[in-house]
Amino acid sequence: MARSTTTRRKIITTAAAWAVGLLIFFPIYWTILTSFKTEAQAINDPPLFFFFDWTLENYAVVQERSDYMRFLWNSVIISGLSTLLGVMIAVPAAWSMAFVPSRRTKDILLWMLSTKMLPAVGVLYPISLLFVKFGLLDTRTGLVVVLMLINLPIIVWMLYTYFKEIPGEILEAARMDGATLREEIVYILTPMAIPGIASTMLLNFILAWNEAFWTLNLTAAKAAPLTAFIASYSSPEGLFFAKLSAASTMAIAPILILGWFSQKQLVRGLTFGAVK
Amino acid sequence: MADTPSLRLRTERWLERRLPQIVVLPLFALSLFFVYGFIVWTAYISMTPSRIMPVYDFIGFSQYDRLWATPRWYVAIKNLFIFSSLFIAISMVIGILLAILLDQRVRAEGLIRTIYLYPMALSFIVTGTVWKWILNPGLGIERYMREMGFENFTFDWLVNSDYAIYTLVIAAVWQSSGYAMALFLAGLRSVDDEILKAAAVDGASPWKTYTSIVLPILRPVFLSTVIILAHLAIKSFDLVVALTGGGPGYATDMPATFMYAFAFQRSELGVAAASATMMLMTIIAIIVPYLYSELRKTGR
Repeated sequence: MARSTTTRRKIITTAAAWAVGLLIFFPIYWTILTSFKTEAQAINDPPLFFFFDWTLENYAVVQERSDYMRFLWNSVIISGLSTLLGVMIAVPAAWSMAFVPSRRTKDILLWMLSTKMLPAVGVLYPISLLFVKFGLLDTRTGLVVVLMLINLPIIVWMLYTYFKEIPGEILEAARMDGATLREEIVYILTPMAIPGIASTMLLNFILAWNEAFWTLNLTAAKAAPLTAFIASYSSPEGLFFAKLSAASTMAIAPILILGWFSQKQLVRGLTFGAVK
Repeated sequence: MADTPSLRLRTERWLERRLPQIVVLPLFALSLFFVYGFIVWTAYISMTPSRIMPVYDFIGFSQYDRLWATPRWYVAIKNLFIFSSLFIAISMVIGILLAILLDQRVRAEGLIRTIYLYPMALSFIVTGTVWKWILNPGLGIERYMREMGFENFTFDWLVNSDYAIYTLVIAAVWQSSGYAMALFLAGLRSVDDEILKAAAVDGASPWKTYTSIVLPILRPVFLSTVIILAHLAIKSFDLVVALTGGGPGYATDMPATFMYAFAFQRSELGVAAASATMMLMTIIAIIVPYLYSELRKTGR
């Protein structure tokens, strides 16, 4: 679109874009900043924007009071394992849909995506019944399985869009040269598919990390991840804002850092492949 | 492995031919069982007298009568309607404006795009918690404005049952407008430069170019953005729980929180299942035809 511009206009639009960016980023910035203040500074009048005595005290208190590391570890395990498991199931399926499409492929994709549109509350009750029956309540195993199932349609869809981009001619050429299915997969497909798989895993890790509905409802103490950790801090009103900020910062920091170093994949992943 | 090479070869050939179907099967079975199986179960429960625990006696549609006789259900539906229409409309407008802004070849575009998208990468629980603070009359914007000297400045939407629903819109728009921007930007980038040059040669103003050439081309993007935002709106359970908790009272109840309250807190499983079924039917009626036509059209 309208891409030939003068220098002056470019400066103005750049400034405007950054202003909006700062506005959008402000709540995050403020949260991080407040986490380094004392409780008194947090509600100081006027608000302190940068110049104050930075303190790590909140982090120490939060860790001591609610054992951040345990929640973090649960988050890592649950997101990591559900992602791995999901990708293991989805890769063959997406490969098959992208390279050996049948008449049913479209319908199966539609079917998979449609499940993602339904509100999770509708199936919460039967799933919690099952959880009670099999003793899965408040276990990491249970959450890994549920989160894997919840995100499976997205994993398949993402992988499918990535695999679609691998030119089929290469595979045909390999087949002509007499490569077996196994050779085809190991030497040609895998190297070309790895970037797509990595991006998909990144996105899914973030989605699983943020998942709050299932984690809040299916865990209590033992298996609770960081979302539950924040929720436990958000209830008491008033005096704990610096600590709440420290807790929130610790919960979002991994995502912010991960997202920063993988901007391209993040953008593409969150838009389900629409933005490359 | 196999005893004779020919048998081995035959199995391998068979596998090569059938593998594509075999690998899709577990996926299909999983979603069939876990999603649609449970939906059927919920639909059935809505026709039973279940209260605290599920029972399986068929009683017809009386739970639906009870559901539609519950004032709180009307509040939930009205809220969902207000919330989703405002949320979708505002996010789209902001999204498209930001996309046009970013399309003017700004510097460090990738960086800005990531910042715009950051809120979307955060959990709704965090979003809700942060906004709860910003919107809190005693701690956030209201207090700040009063300290600035505007003694009568009032911004108590969060605790005002007439306006609390709009605080959900604010937080949700913050979270999703960058996302809408990314989708529109992708659409803008796919507009053919030649068309724009032709428009410029014919003397069309930038405003005219956007409104009568570019936006019509972006129609498919509009549609998919609406669908994605709509499904976010319908699923907005986490945000409500984190920001308002459905309160004050049940002023910001949504169908999802309604279902939750009736199933788990008020032991009215039958009514909850009826409300879940109503929701599912509505969504299926709206979304499935759309998805279907989209997938057919793109020829995937």
